[in-house]
Amino acid sequence: MGSPAAGTATASQQPSSGSNNHYPTPSSLPPSQIARLQPHAFLLAHLSPPASSNQPPVRANGRSPAEFRVTSANAGSLTHTNGSAVVRIGDKAAVCGVRAELLYTQDVASWGVSKSSSSSSSISGGATQGEEAGEGEDEEDDSQIRDLHLLVPNLSLSTGCAPGFIPGAPPSALAQSLSHQILSLLHTSRMVRADDLRIWYHPPNLSALERETESHERMDTGEEEEEEEGEEGSESGTSEIKAFWVLYIDVLIISLAGNPFDAAWAAVLAALRDTKLPRAWWNVDNDMVLCSDDASEAKKLHLRGMPIASSYCVFEADPAASWRPVVIPGAAKEEKDVQGKKRSQQSWVLADPDGYEENLCQERICVVVDQDRGGKTKVLRIEKNGGLSVGKEELRKLVNISIGRWNHLKSIIEALR
Amino acid sequence: MPRPTATLSPLLRADGSASYTCPSTGCLIMGSVNGPIELPGRRDAQKPEEATLDVLVKPGTAQAGVGEKYVEGILKGLLGRLLLGRETGFPRRGIVMTLVVSGGENGGKVRRGESYLPILPALLHTLLLALLSAAIPMSMTYTATAVAVTSTGEIKGDPSVRDAASAVSFHVLAFSSKGHLLLSQSEGSFDLDLWEQVYEHAYATCRGSQPVTADGDISMIEDASGYNLESFVRKTVEDQIHHDYSWMNNDA
Repeated sequence: MGSPAAGTATASQQPSSGSNNHYPTPSSLPPSQIARLQPHAFLLAHLSPPASSNQPPVRANGRSPAEFRVTSANAGSLTHTNGSAVVRIGDKAAVCGVRAELLYTQDVASWGVSKSSSSSSSISGGATQGEEAGEGEDEEDDSQIRDLHLLVPNLSLSTGCAPGFIPGAPPSALAQSLSHQILSLLHTSRMVRADDLRIWYHPPNLSALERETESHERMDTGEEEEEEEGEEGSESGTSEIKAFWVLYIDVLIISLAGNPFDAAWAAVLAALRDTKLPRAWWNVDNDMVLCSDDASEAKKLHLRGMPIASSYCVFEADPAASWRPVVIPGAAKEEKDVQGKKRSQQSWVLADPDGYEENLCQERICVVVDQDRGGKTKVLRIEKNGGLSVGKEELRKLVNISIGRWNHLKSIIEALR
Repeated sequence: MPRPTATLSPLLRADGSASYTCPSTGCLIMGSVNGPIELPGRRDAQKPEEATLDVLVKPGTAQAGVGEKYVEGILKGLLGRLLLGRETGFPRRGIVMTLVVSGGENGGKVRRGESYLPILPALLHTLLLALLSAAIPMSMTYTATAVAVTSTGEIKGDPSVRDAASAVSFHVLAFSSKGHLLLSQSEGSFDLDLWEQVYEHAYATCRGSQPVTADGDISMIEDASGYNLESFVRKTVEDQIHHDYSWMNNDA
């Protein structure tokens, strides 16, 4: 609470002078005190400056309503992970680390039953590997990620990130639902390809080898190339998945100042883009998967798209509107239409709310957007809850703001490598 | 289209209760509401100005997990706006709402990482009916529906679990009895034009196609089938009241 209040000390001079009549002794209390005593009136005074002053509405933290906080990101900070990232959005900081571990298919109880489609997917798997990150393979089957829980995100708030969260306490309801949100967004956005996580075993085609060795004996030239060819040719038919990579995605919110989901998701995204999986193969003699030590052989994940989350909340001028028995909004809207635009604005949509604003707002909106290469916008998630102010038109505006935010964050995250 | 069925006040000891069967997902949800009640030993939950809302969602045969916590948050957010928790007698007390999901796939358990959206409308309706049964003051009622969009772009109302699994995008929308968009939860890949079609479809399912008249009254002119979810809620409550007061009616 200390830092936003300190930040407002300068920004609040203008509005508080305009609303002297609200506070009988404005000079005796510094703005930071008023912000604590009358938080709602304080924010309202900022957002509705007197008409005479011709000022645009500004929030208590000095931002304009649609302005996001300054964002910075850093990738590859943790050395013991396969991929990691730190994202800071204003006073928020989220650290994300991705660790890959092996899941052997022989340990999956239902594997023999459910792998009926393996032969067909082996063919498509081989084809997509050849295509190399083409956009055409959207039809690929990613159900294994969901069925075998190959992505395991977890978010921890128990780091002393904010006064309300005690270190060492069990995960709060907020942390649990954030973990669920991250997991379900990972699934529905289909960002990670199942094919990146599969470890195949291509048994050598012995009869082909025999034929080759015979031909080698006859020709005795170009041995190595032909052997490789022979191995590749033997892929079809008997190839099978021996293991999967499981990605454990851990997010620690080090410092929380409202709106944790945006930062957590941006950190997950940046960390996944940073993730490198070592080259792994099935060793028949040891009956286990071996990984290559060579860093140059490690491969990055081929992620689909780059979904970016942006959150908003709605601040309402009348705090009683939510509990007054006769509900105003339906009737008030028509009144407003009759009276014209005389009435002052009733609600403000605030982008990227900080903790102070979040406490004053009930209505939350979270929009996740992505753009494909053609510039076509996809919406991957809309969550709107807790209020009456945002309808169809407002949501359309918010999606447009989110696209602007997407462009901005995209440039930050793409600059990481 | 199969219609949902509901019973009001099936539980005798709770302040209010409701049971609801959702035909599309096949789940049976039992809800109970107690309030306003004292929350002993919960100093943290005693808010000086308004009632504390407590929503508990429990799968019938399993432990509540992360997904349940998430859906509890959604329900709490929606109701926080609708319940008049500042009325006399409510501040410093609590309203405890419990929902048990049984039937359906996996005995009502939504597995880790799976979407909770398919049964969210059923949860919302159960909660609404239980709140009405407990006579908790609310500023308005609501109705909710789920809509799935298939890979061919077809908009499908009341999707089954299988539809939900194969859908490209899945939406749950809730509308207040005054026509506001109260809740919109969408996931999958879609664009806003599609979302607006979904909105119109959901609005028609929830409230019929009639507009609100000038005086804010809803004229219940119904379409050909005469059925929408709002009339279903009203009919359920009317039937219960008729039943409760049958001792007064001479014509019975």
